[in-house]
Amino acid sequence: MPSEKFFVKEDLYNKLEELSKEFEIIGPRELPNKGIFYQSLKNTRDLYLGEGFAIEPIKRFFLKPSEWIFDERFRENKNILEGIPLPADKRIIISVRPCETRGLTLLDKVFDSDYKDNFYINNRKRTIIIGLACNKPAKNCFCTSMGGSPIESRGMDVLIFDMDRGLIAEILTDRGRELFASIGEGLNEGQRRLLKEDKEKKKDLVEKKLSPPEGKELDKIFESDYWEDVSRPCIGCGICTYLCPTCHCFDLVDERRKRLRCYDSCSFPDFTLEASGVNPRPTKKERYRQRVFHKFDYFKKNFGENLCVGCGRCIRHCPVKIDIADIVDKVPGLKKE
Amino acid sequence: MTATEGSPERKRGKDKKDWEPRIVGFLCKWCSYAGADLAGTSRLQYPPNIRIVRVPCSGRVNPLFVLKCLVNGIDGVLVSGCHIGDCHYSEGNFYARRRFVILKRLLEYLGIDPRRFQMSWISASEGDKWARVVKELVEEIKQAGPNTEFRKGI
Amino acid sequence: MIDRIKKKAEELLRTKQVDLIIGYKRAPDGVSVAPVFIDKAEETKELIWDTYCVYNLSNYLKDFRGRKIGIIAKACDARSIIVLLQENQLKRKDIFIIGVECSGIVDEKKLLSISPQTSELGFDERCRSCKPSKPPIYDVLIVQEGQRPQAPRLEKDPYGSVRKSEAKSISEKFKLWQEEFSRCIRCYACRQICPLCYCPRCVADQTQPSWLSRAHSFRGNFTWNVTRAMHLAGRCIDCGECERACPVGIPLRDINKKIEKDVKELFNYEAGLSAEQKALLSCFDKNDPEDFIR
Repeated sequence: MPSEKFFVKEDLYNKLEELSKEFEIIGPRELPNKGIFYQSLKNTRDLYLGEGFAIEPIKRFFLKPSEWIFDERFRENKNILEGIPLPADKRIIISVRPCETRGLTLLDKVFDSDYKDNFYINNRKRTIIIGLACNKPAKNCFCTSMGGSPIESRGMDVLIFDMDRGLIAEILTDRGRELFASIGEGLNEGQRRLLKEDKEKKKDLVEKKLSPPEGKELDKIFESDYWEDVSRPCIGCGICTYLCPTCHCFDLVDERRKRLRCYDSCSFPDFTLEASGVNPRPTKKERYRQRVFHKFDYFKKNFGENLCVGCGRCIRHCPVKIDIADIVDKVPGLKKE
Repeated sequence: MTATEGSPERKRGKDKKDWEPRIVGFLCKWCSYAGADLAGTSRLQYPPNIRIVRVPCSGRVNPLFVLKCLVNGIDGVLVSGCHIGDCHYSEGNFYARRRFVILKRLLEYLGIDPRRFQMSWISASEGDKWARVVKELVEEIKQAGPNTEFRKGI
Repeated sequence: MIDRIKKKAEELLRTKQVDLIIGYKRAPDGVSVAPVFIDKAEETKELIWDTYCVYNLSNYLKDFRGRKIGIIAKACDARSIIVLLQENQLKRKDIFIIGVECSGIVDEKKLLSISPQTSELGFDERCRSCKPSKPPIYDVLIVQEGQRPQAPRLEKDPYGSVRKSEAKSISEKFKLWQEEFSRCIRCYACRQICPLCYCPRCVADQTQPSWLSRAHSFRGNFTWNVTRAMHLAGRCIDCGECERACPVGIPLRDINKKIEKDVKELFNYEAGLSAEQKALLSCFDKNDPEDFIR
């Protein structure tokens, strides 16, 4: 049963200050003229608690942009492969948006199911996530259409609501309870009512809507020219995939006697280029279609959910304004009422 | 000395007093390389800090060569070719001159010590100039200190 | 103005002078603009022209090699077309340039951030140092009529900020760029959006030899950003698309400007003014500066 706590921002800053002795505190920070970035906060007062959205999602703290997998060493005239020790330091990521943690729950299905990825699992285990419900979704957000909402708490330990007079934290796990044991007070009747009203209000904040394909509709139009039309403006950069909270494709490279796992993107031609010189996805059409199909078709077949949380990052940051929601919504032959 | 001990990666930076700069020189095969050879055969003394890479022409040197050296911790890079007008391929060094003046200024703009990247024209008969240039270069780079900027991180 | 653009585009398609028109249309969000590719005369009514038309459409010309293309080009876009012609990437007869007079475009980054200042639309930084409002090359020019939206302020010294940064100490400069480059996520949007980055295989994608580290480390990011800038030396026409595309806000234009300034000072060369001009780094002068050489 979740419990609630009420406190003011000042209490939170002080609490974080105290926690920073034990934990690494990671949170969004606004860099002037650059945007909002998750960073390890040396000064907890740099924490951004506003309405804006971080450019990069918290994915990078779990599935790192580049992860050293193992090390090759030369010892006693022998080449030895050494695993990289997993970091054990505990950390707190705070002020995380609901869509981003939902992204983590989707990544869990990939990295923590039949196949166990130790790097990812370790990062998940050592991290406490404190979310922040959205007061003002951006115009490109469409989380409610993807099964989330501005107050979604899946994957979080604590979810904070920013009310006018202070913060209300919804404690969701034991880890969270422990953390917030010595801060704030329980809610009184009025506050409880306020929270309920606030939740109701926030649920309907998101304006952008789309109806994702339900079943196997996409399969039917795999060969459609539609994909060529919609992918024409695509310039083939990796912004949409790198900034996506759920995209998780990676590449392995050997560098400086170490093996590196780093992000890769289906929008790059090299992603599928084979050693023979054949590229099964030779043009933007195939590459963009792959992105849509992975999100709205293949992943659903494998895990029963869309691989999209509707955070709107790929739309917001696309240099040529490709709108995946609009594209999926307008897929020919899927016209709904 | 075993291979492990000898690896420069290990030797470097442990003790500041012992630090000796590592310099990579890209030398054109027709002039500067022959000049360096002459310095050797004439028994001229110069510091052993420079590792020479022979290239067909200074015009062959790609700015990436210089960059790759610098980010991998080389303390200084020298590109050396024939004097203007002496290029074996008539005009290779003209192109190099244009290219590298831009690179040099750009690197300085981005905060790389300008002493770390240098160029020289040395002909096949200038063994003494080669020895002098290397001496000066090593001295300058010693003053600039070890190139540690890129060592942090991965 | 837009009516004349539409009319011209329609005529070009109808008379089969071109196979395709590359222009601007309204994006699904109703405010911003997206590139559009039109091959049917009746679809030309989709075209628009306003201060939100930020893209340098010449980037798409390389996708349609060998076809007859009509393209809507602002002054900066036209300069990149010149460089492409200069480097034999295009045939002049294959492209029909609908030049549009431009009095500056909006700063899209400011639109993105949801800070309170959003209501005030600013012109993009790049327009402040842009001289011509007419494209230097065109087949037909559509001029602006009536009241112009406030023309961007011309900076007295387009390299003012570069000079300021140059004056800083080496360690200051290094620290600054270390911070900037450390944010780089290596999405290569700067490369992909650049009309002049057209190598079939980029050095960053090569693995044998691998020139730059794939790791998202300062080392790899530095090499990448310097390589990109060097490759555009004497070619960059300062359309500012790289900086606009960069999701993490690295001031790429600042680096480009620095090289542009050096090139102008050292060789009195400006990119993208004439297709007959030889490319900067594929020619030389006997009296090029060499005071830096021992």
